[in-house]
Amino acid sequence: MNRRKFLKATLISGIAISSPEILFPLIAPADAAVKSDLAVARGTSPARITRAAIDGLGGIKRFISRGDVVVVKPNIGWDRTPEYAANTNPEVVATIVRLCYEAGAKKVKVFDNTVSNAKRCYKQSGIADAVSAVGGLVSFIDDRKFRDMKLSGYALRSWPLYMEVFEADKIINVPIAKTHGLTTLTLGMKNWMGIMGGWRGRIHQRIDGSLVDVSMAVTPVLVVLDAVRILTANGPQGGDLSDVKLLNTVVAGTDQVAVDAYGATLFGMRGSDLAYVRMGHEAGLGTMELSKLKIKRITA
Amino acid sequence: MGEIQNNSLQRFMIKKIRIATQGLFLLTFLWLFLQTESKGANELGYPVKIFLDADPLLFLTTSLATWSVDKFPYLALIVVVATVILGRVFCGWVCPLGTLNNMAGSLKRWRLQTAPLNWYRVKYAILIFLLISSLFTLQLTGIVDPLSLLIRSLSVTVYPMFSYATGAAFDAVYSANIPVVVSISEFIYTILKKTVLPFQQPFFIQGAFIGILFFLLLGANLIERRFWCKFLCPLGALLGLLSRYAFLKRSVSEGCDSCGACTASCQGGAAPDRQEERKNTECFICGNCDDICPRNAVSFGFSLKKPGASLDLGKRYVAGSILSGIVAVPLLRISPLMKPAYANPLLIRPPGSVEEKAFLQKCVKCGECMKVCITNGLQPTFLEAGLEGIWSPVLIPRIGYCEYRCTLCGQVCPTGAIQKLDLAEKEKVRIGSAMVDKGRCLPYAHATPCIVCEEVCPTPKKAIWLETVTVKDREGKELIVKQPKVDLTLCTGCGICEAKCPVIGQPAIYVTSVGESRSKDKQLLLP
Repeated sequence: MNRRKFLKATLISGIAISSPEILFPLIAPADAAVKSDLAVARGTSPARITRAAIDGLGGIKRFISRGDVVVVKPNIGWDRTPEYAANTNPEVVATIVRLCYEAGAKKVKVFDNTVSNAKRCYKQSGIADAVSAVGGLVSFIDDRKFRDMKLSGYALRSWPLYMEVFEADKIINVPIAKTHGLTTLTLGMKNWMGIMGGWRGRIHQRIDGSLVDVSMAVTPVLVVLDAVRILTANGPQGGDLSDVKLLNTVVAGTDQVAVDAYGATLFGMRGSDLAYVRMGHEAGLGTMELSKLKIKRITA
Repeated sequence: MGEIQNNSLQRFMIKKIRIATQGLFLLTFLWLFLQTESKGANELGYPVKIFLDADPLLFLTTSLATWSVDKFPYLALIVVVATVILGRVFCGWVCPLGTLNNMAGSLKRWRLQTAPLNWYRVKYAILIFLLISSLFTLQLTGIVDPLSLLIRSLSVTVYPMFSYATGAAFDAVYSANIPVVVSISEFIYTILKKTVLPFQQPFFIQGAFIGILFFLLLGANLIERRFWCKFLCPLGALLGLLSRYAFLKRSVSEGCDSCGACTASCQGGAAPDRQEERKNTECFICGNCDDICPRNAVSFGFSLKKPGASLDLGKRYVAGSILSGIVAVPLLRISPLMKPAYANPLLIRPPGSVEEKAFLQKCVKCGECMKVCITNGLQPTFLEAGLEGIWSPVLIPRIGYCEYRCTLCGQVCPTGAIQKLDLAEKEKVRIGSAMVDKGRCLPYAHATPCIVCEEVCPTPKKAIWLETVTVKDREGKELIVKQPKVDLTLCTGCGICEAKCPVIGQPAIYVTSVGESRSKDKQLLLP
């Protein structure tokens, strides 16, 4: 939808497409957006690379319109401070919230159904403070706001999901890249566990299908994978700094499967090594064939 | 009534100041109670146990039982000194339970009592019992200490009730889904959640039992005002003894015509109409007798004169309480629960708890740790720790696990039964060990994937590890599953695995106290 609109728009503005970036520096971001499916930004400032990655896709205005109610969904699952790489980097989350407001969003909501005690997770992750500081609305999960949703049935026919996600105009998924005992890695698709209610531990019985089901129920306009620090062992909760690797990287894309497939490469794997990525690819949720994608690499 | 109101401004001055003071202390107490909740940071930021620290009875009995002093009791000493000088001002002006008793008593319209109960000695018997038994290492004070009792009752019963009732009311409006009404009610609900409601609804297994006792105690005020304070409170008894020679004394001038107005208004039952027989140890310095006296014959002032009536506790009474205090010790210690091998394996104590024997001597069952526990996992025991340990804290992981990096219970414990730990110490403390029940675990017994226990295990190197195994299902088809194993050298017994185990009800992985670091006896692995 968004993508198609964009292609149409760019066909009309043919000049922009055919122009070398150097000659038209002002139109360059828009140009880049057309061509790139993924933007990978590297640099020492999480805020700067987050902005750069989103700009690499065409800038936040491509995704967020004036008056939008936006849900930004980080991983706040654990009672860990940022250096342990168990939760999404607070600066990455806050930057996205700030960008949404810059694009004219009306409200930007941030929440997660945590695993550890929610108050500690929100506070210790640094996310609640960072997001509040830029005007984001941080809320704790309200058990009354789960509704049974029909799912595609690869593993789950229905499951209680968090309604605020579906009431929003736009959704941005902001996972962190970590290892996981069952799914090998937890990236973007796995981050949707944080909008699941009920006795959700059970989904591990058919985890890959479950992740595809939930990912198909949600349509994020943007996925921003935080790989500023990645957790290479003892994930997803972590706790040992020697398992944390500093990558100073943020990956942005609109294709949930492609972002996760790229995320796998950060750990020296391929997307097809992850069963849920494979299933997502086969289900038509997105593509894991990175070779067919235009990936823009930015140093910021 | 009219007659009294005419010149009430001056006449009820003391009462007004007293009620304001009582209100202030009660509100402070309740505010600190509300602050006994995590905001997500490592520290609470407020001295929430300050009232318990000011309790000389808790200090005295804990010190006697352990024959040691945890910290210098500044606040308790202030209460003692104030009592020695002024009398039982703590009872009359400060004690939050006393104030609640006042309030409960005012629910009934009182006529002049012709034959008030005369059970005031009972509290001295309770006090002597507690002092003697604690001298012989048995610490039961927390059961009846007014501040322990109040904080426990509020934590375990009243506050959860308040939260439940409020939540149910707002939920009803929410589900009725009337457009404007819902947005108003949700707005109010949000404010209440941020101010007076708990973060999540607390549930306590002893809630109803402890609550019934508490409501009976309040209800007794309808039999006689301040029933508890006059007849039962051991702290009141201790302060009564200390106030025996208080410098602040009451005198009655010649103008007294024995009208009896003061007796009817006396909160402590000190018999103020009979100067010679007045029991100054029972006086709360409430000032009612001064306020009410139609002849203005009553006054309070400092003097070194000997008090009037002698304090007669009754020799048999005293001997009986001393004897019971002694007898209680072996009576409660002959349970096989005292043997490490038979000790209740599910008695998981909070992290930082001292060794069980010392723990029972120190724990005053105030319930602060249960109030502050962020997962609601700390619950009051019933008989798991013997009668001696009733209402002491036990971690029940199925209700709530011990959050790996949380140290709040040790911060709020008033007696050091749970030691205050810093984060680095806390992460090393072992409160038990988890073990897998292979008969219920999905990958072991049912050829079904599941790794939840491993996923949530919080130790830096996970204590739960997975072995990849090929199993067969009913049709003989081979499946690869990961079976969890517990590395006992790493497991801290936090119980998050048990809390999150998808096998609902009886979990497939559970914690028992074996291996807890505070016990020498309950070790499993060779060092």
